[in-house]
Amino acid sequence: MAVVELKNVTKRFGGFTAVEDVTFSLGKGDILSLLGPSGCGKTTTLRMIAGFENPSEGDVLISGESMLGKRPYERNVGLLFQDYALFPHMTVQQNIAYGLKRRKFDRGALDDRVGEMLGLVKLEGLADRRPSQLSGGQQQRVALARALATSPEVVLLDEPLSALDAKLRQELRIELKQILSAVDATTIIVTHDQEEAMSLGDSLIVMNEGRIVQEGSPTDIYKNPTSRFVAEFIGRSNWFSGKLGKDGDDDLVEFSISKDISFLIHRPDHDAGAYDVCIRPERIRTEDRQDLQQISEYCNHLQGVVRDVAHLGADIHTLVELANGEMLTICQPYTGQSLRQHGERVGLAFRPSDCIVISSTT
Amino acid sequence: MNALNRQIDNLGLWLVWLIIAVTLVFLIAPIVVSILMSFDARSYLGRFPPTEFSFHWYERFFSDTYYLNGLKTSLIIAVIAAAVSTFAGVSAAIVLDRYDFPGKQAIETVFLSPLVIPAVVVGFALLLFFALIGVFQGYPRLLAGHIIITFPYTVRTTLAGLTGIRRNLTEAAMTLGANEWQAFWDVTFPLARTGMIAGAVFAFAFSMDDVAVSLFLTSPDTYTLPVAMVSMMRTNFDLTIAAASVILMLFTIVLIVVLDWIIGLERVIGGGVYRS
Repeated sequence: MAVVELKNVTKRFGGFTAVEDVTFSLGKGDILSLLGPSGCGKTTTLRMIAGFENPSEGDVLISGESMLGKRPYERNVGLLFQDYALFPHMTVQQNIAYGLKRRKFDRGALDDRVGEMLGLVKLEGLADRRPSQLSGGQQQRVALARALATSPEVVLLDEPLSALDAKLRQELRIELKQILSAVDATTIIVTHDQEEAMSLGDSLIVMNEGRIVQEGSPTDIYKNPTSRFVAEFIGRSNWFSGKLGKDGDDDLVEFSISKDISFLIHRPDHDAGAYDVCIRPERIRTEDRQDLQQISEYCNHLQGVVRDVAHLGADIHTLVELANGEMLTICQPYTGQSLRQHGERVGLAFRPSDCIVISSTT
Repeated sequence: MNALNRQIDNLGLWLVWLIIAVTLVFLIAPIVVSILMSFDARSYLGRFPPTEFSFHWYERFFSDTYYLNGLKTSLIIAVIAAAVSTFAGVSAAIVLDRYDFPGKQAIETVFLSPLVIPAVVVGFALLLFFALIGVFQGYPRLLAGHIIITFPYTVRTTLAGLTGIRRNLTEAAMTLGANEWQAFWDVTFPLARTGMIAGAVFAFAFSMDDVAVSLFLTSPDTYTLPVAMVSMMRTNFDLTIAAASVILMLFTIVLIVVLDWIIGLERVIGGGVYRS
């Protein structure tokens, strides 16, 4: 049975529709990421599950029971706030114990449970500190322990990593995943950060303007975005607009982006007239011009001039200008190779299968 | 050019220090003078400084029923006015902080208006109003006046205390199983407490100190200590008034010291008022 289920949920504030016809469900232990730009309705969705807002239409079910009209304290939902919302006048111990006290745990069980939660988030020695005496990462762990202490049926995480710096993010991401799986928490993560969404969620729902635009596994959505919005929102992308030309071998078809420049793509399933093609920066290889013809598997070859090279540590980003003036970003792992020179002429190679074809009307 | 700029800067800095020094002198010197004079052993109003010290002006104060009656009235009015005004101010501030409704801005302005309306106007208006509705007793009139003039302070300091508390703390408490009422007592109240107490202190102090409003609302047998001092000053001016001022000051100081001892003065005065 689904632990959380949203059925055709719509939320209107006055004339503004914040969430429109959202339907999804999660089983026990599932981790779902709700991803979208700010104002896409993801936070409103979270607030409806927590009980701060009531849906205008549709229903929210937790463990099969309708939550319509139930106040937050009448549901068992754990919420990790973006800024943690720790009670500043209580110690770590009191913060974690708060939910247990309000949910009427008896005194002995309460202390055991707090100890257990402190162990889970590795903060055993800090029980008597105030939140203001903790680092950002420690505060987050306290907030997590507080949210998990009452064994909520659903755990909601609001941008759980966004307040942390890059290094700490990485650490806490792994830890967060371990903790969530250790307690087998059914979790919904709300975020605008695609990395956070993809790394934490087993499945992903992308929202825009109140609606679900695509759902699937992170890899599936990255590989097969069904709209330009999703392709642009998740990962970097190079875009070409153009027309279909003459057929090639098998199901390949020529795609021309200007008078002289064309390459092969897989024929799209349905005929939409105009298409946009997206190529991920890491799927393009730069080659010296004379080597181009030898690499047969990369049957698409273009030529261009290097306009910028940026070495970002693990990756090298190269900006290449095509003959028609379009710019392409190419992202390659740094494995000790020498960097391309500014102004150098290079060949670009990629497979037809690396081209994501999206109808221009979507 | 640079040298000139620097000299102008230095001059400005000196000016600022001078202003601070002058302010301090005019703020503290008169108080010091009246404190010292209240201990003057001479039985007439002599030249400053006193040549000998004694408590005889205080003895006079405490044997004069006119003053004592004023002090008693002042204390009763101040305690009740501070309590009522704090309760009303806290309630109003919570509503203003928590909810959005049409006319909120206007209501806030009305609540704070006694701060800008001259106290004399408030006093006179109240006198007319009470005459109109037939209330002539001193206590209800004084109480009403004092609650009205202290109310803006309790609203203001509580609001200042509340604005620092993010809404999501209450929401966090609610997801953890607290209802609105429990969330208020567990989270909002402890965090806004200093602002509320600051409001109560101000309310007490302003009530003890008020002359302008009280002058209009006293009755022959119900008058506050400051009003008694003003009328004594006109009839038989002697240093009992200095002793009375010191006693008046003492009540407020004792209150502040006690609060400082309980929760810390910094947080009561500074934290409550200047934040936001």
